Amino acid sequence: MHSWLDNTIIFFNFVVFTYFLLGNGIYTFLFLLSMRSTWFHMQRRTLQDLDAIRRSPLAPPVTIIIPAWNEEGVIVGAVRSALQADYPHFRVIVVDDGSTDRTLERLVTSFQLVEIDAAYRPTLPTAPVHAFYVNPEIPNLVVATKGRGGKPDAINAGINLCRSPYFCNLDADCLLERDALLRLMEPVLNANVQTVVSSGIVRILNGCTTQDGRVLRVGLPSGRLERFQVVEYLRSFLCGRTGWNLLGGTLVVSGAFAVFHRASVIAAGGFCHDTVTEDMDMVVQLHHWAAKRGRKIRMAFTSDPVCWTECPTSFANLARQRRRWQLGLCQTLWKHSELLFGRKYGVVGYLSYPFHSLVEGAGAAVELVGYLLVPLAFLRGLVPAYVLLAFVLLSFVYGCFLNVGAVLLEELTFRRYPRFRDLLTLLGYAALENVGYRQLVLLYRVEGILKFLAGSRRWEKVAHAGAEV
Amino acid sequence: MAQLTNSGTAWALAVSFCVLAGIGLLMVVAVFRRGQQVFYFRYVHSLRRRYRKALTEVLSGKSRDQGMQTLRRLPLSDLEILLDPIFSRRHVVEAHLGILRALCAELGLIELWQRRAAVAHRLEAQPHGSGRRARGVQSPQHLLRRAKGIRNLGILRHEPSGRFLVKALDDPHPDIQVVALRALAALHAPGNFPAVLSRLHAVALGRHTSPSLPAIEAALVNFNLRASAMLEVSLRHPEREIRRIATDTLRVMAGREAGGGQLPADALPAEIAELLLRDLSRDASGEVRGATAEILALLPDSRVEVVLHELLFDREWQVRLRAVRALGKSQHVTDLMVLGIRDCLRDAHSLVRDAAIHALIALGHRGTQHLYEHFLTTEDPVLRAQIVEAIERTGLLTSLVEGYSGGARGIEALMVEELASAAAPVGFSGVLQMVNPPVRERFQERFLPCARFRMRLLEQAAWESNPGPGLQPSLEFPPVVAA
Repeated sequence: MHSWLDNTIIFFNFVVFTYFLLGNGIYTFLFLLSMRSTWFHMQRRTLQDLDAIRRSPLAPPVTIIIPAWNEEGVIVGAVRSALQADYPHFRVIVVDDGSTDRTLERLVTSFQLVEIDAAYRPTLPTAPVHAFYVNPEIPNLVVATKGRGGKPDAINAGINLCRSPYFCNLDADCLLERDALLRLMEPVLNANVQTVVSSGIVRILNGCTTQDGRVLRVGLPSGRLERFQVVEYLRSFLCGRTGWNLLGGTLVVSGAFAVFHRASVIAAGGFCHDTVTEDMDMVVQLHHWAAKRGRKIRMAFTSDPVCWTECPTSFANLARQRRRWQLGLCQTLWKHSELLFGRKYGVVGYLSYPFHSLVEGAGAAVELVGYLLVPLAFLRGLVPAYVLLAFVLLSFVYGCFLNVGAVLLEELTFRRYPRFRDLLTLLGYAALENVGYRQLVLLYRVEGILKFLAGSRRWEKVAHAGAEV
Repeated sequence: MAQLTNSGTAWALAVSFCVLAGIGLLMVVAVFRRGQQVFYFRYVHSLRRRYRKALTEVLSGKSRDQGMQTLRRLPLSDLEILLDPIFSRRHVVEAHLGILRALCAELGLIELWQRRAAVAHRLEAQPHGSGRRARGVQSPQHLLRRAKGIRNLGILRHEPSGRFLVKALDDPHPDIQVVALRALAALHAPGNFPAVLSRLHAVALGRHTSPSLPAIEAALVNFNLRASAMLEVSLRHPEREIRRIATDTLRVMAGREAGGGQLPADALPAEIAELLLRDLSRDASGEVRGATAEILALLPDSRVEVVLHELLFDREWQVRLRAVRALGKSQHVTDLMVLGIRDCLRDAHSLVRDAAIHALIALGHRGTQHLYEHFLTTEDPVLRAQIVEAIERTGLLTSLVEGYSGGARGIEALMVEELASAAAPVGFSGVLQMVNPPVRERFQERFLPCARFRMRLLEQAAWESNPGPGLQPSLEFPPVVAA
């Protein structure tokens, strides 16, 4: 006869096992979908006529909005890379969100800006905008300074200044590939349905050689922590997002780099301040807005528009970043709980939202409980040693399988890492990601959940090394 | 329970080993694929290095026969690899086009590409025994080869291939349809215009799902304005989407033909011009009316003035915006139109006001006179801020300051004094820092007495309106109640 404690342990072991099957089952399904979709996309890529878009009089203008807060180390490179974008009509708006460092000074001296009197008409409410800077020699660059209001507030100020039907949100620590905007706009231009969001892939800049805001040579970072993140990003973008996009259940886009339809964003109320992941919140808000009005919208994800970003190089920064992501995920899911099994939301309501809630949201806690309870069950003699061994083996091996699959997908399609040694290194790190790194990230994610339960809304800033971007 | 656990463990172990084997397999595939790619690119590289000389000889016209002899020895697939960089760049120099076309025809590549373009169409026509071949044709590798062939026919502007490309529009694969559409557009042959137009009707009316409407429109706009007569049916079509795309196509065609100026009198067929003036300018769709306004601004017709004036005050702000912008770009703006644009400065929508400001600036002296006059008389602070921004961003402020320093009088001088006094303090200080020192000195000499005079006026006004200490408490809010 088992005690109540033993019964509880056995019950939680079943919960963990079910979570394991459910999570990995869906991940495998997404992986297979992505494999097929990315392969076909790559075949079609050669048929894309980017030149036709470049020359097209029908290509709509796009505004690149760069919100910046204390980004003195990276801002100039980001603006340079944005100004080099290969797109027929675009404008760059940098919104300095009340920086206390030399962000504005760097911009003013690097681009020889002068202050002007400008009319500011706030369609979306924001903190007051103080000043505008332009250089008549660079007519498509505007810098605005405003009181501190957070990233969503800065983006909203950028939207107020934006006059184009689409805007691209770009983080200040990112470098845009020259044709990235063109590739992002391709699905927008060739769709019968109104595309409200188009996003691309974010890749890791650490280890790459850059000059004047451009990536000259792609390479793997030297640090182990960064290499694990390369594998993680590949898995997340090439498998997860591609799969969800194919199913029509996109719930997360990278706020570091995505194109939004301006009027739809304004109609949906703009970027909100009540979550720390304003990008995901915006996507969910757009789903909500479209369903409420019976509007047919499309959210596109393509894996070839590339934006390069610096990833955290220290454990402290990685912890800050992951805590914020998890906190934002939980906040957004909680805020929009009416999406759960909502008939009018379709795939998002029935599949994507429940998956993100159970596997991505609560999953971290379940997984941590699993790491504690399965050995406990073994210690209390509830589970024989070979069961424990089989379970641990399966869980580690399966995670490894998905990572290696993502690296293979990269190899079959984009092959961004040209050296053979890089491929072997990536495969090695893909195999090892599940031993140590994943558990570490899991701890940070659980911290994020705890912060959510504690009602925290604090934005944790990740410091950038500023690899001459 | 024990049995369950045992079988579960066996399952878990079995799955683990399968997954492990899978991981191994994935790794082998990744490494093998990399090796395969390296091998392929080496082959391509060596092929290009070996035959580059012969190809250059043929393309430059020097020792052509010898070069052709060498190239003829190559199989067609290798020839395609050899020529692919030229086609992938897409910009084939006009002078090389004829040579390249002749080369491809002589080597049999054009015939091969034509066959590929129509292969699916041909197989569909064969009812029996073509299933496996049809599936083969749809395989990714074959699809890519076919698409490249179709693309190349377009780049070569091989007009006789037009009928094959039209057939390719009916290909079951949507990607092939899009490539064929682009190739047809690249040919510019008016004879192919009806085929693309009928595809527009079919997709807009739901008879076909691909290619997308934007892709069809992008193809249509590439045709010459001479083909516009064929748009008449679409412009009159009851379906709003067809009318919208047809008008927008006409707008782009006309804009390209006008090249920043006005259209020649006979550029548009008379029926189309009539249609624009009478029907489309009053269309139920705002997008159609907006595009019509942009076309009308390019037409050298006396009736345009009244119609455009009406469109400047359309019920939809997007139409007003497009009409104002079109007039800002037009080179023949009548006085009535200028007055219309000036009235748009009072528009309810800020974007229309912005466009009107820029249109007036673009009109030069005639427009800026109206703009300054409006600025000096309006009390709307938002409009004043908009005008100041435009004046600063277009560099007009610098010319105003220079003119003022040079002794300019009239409305420009008043404008400078107003801007320097209060309206544009930031921009003014920036401009004064940048202009030449003599200009700055002359400006200060002239402006300082005016500023002192203004200050005196302000002081006097303040003194006259000073309510005195006894009245001050009653103006406070909330009012101070006497004890």
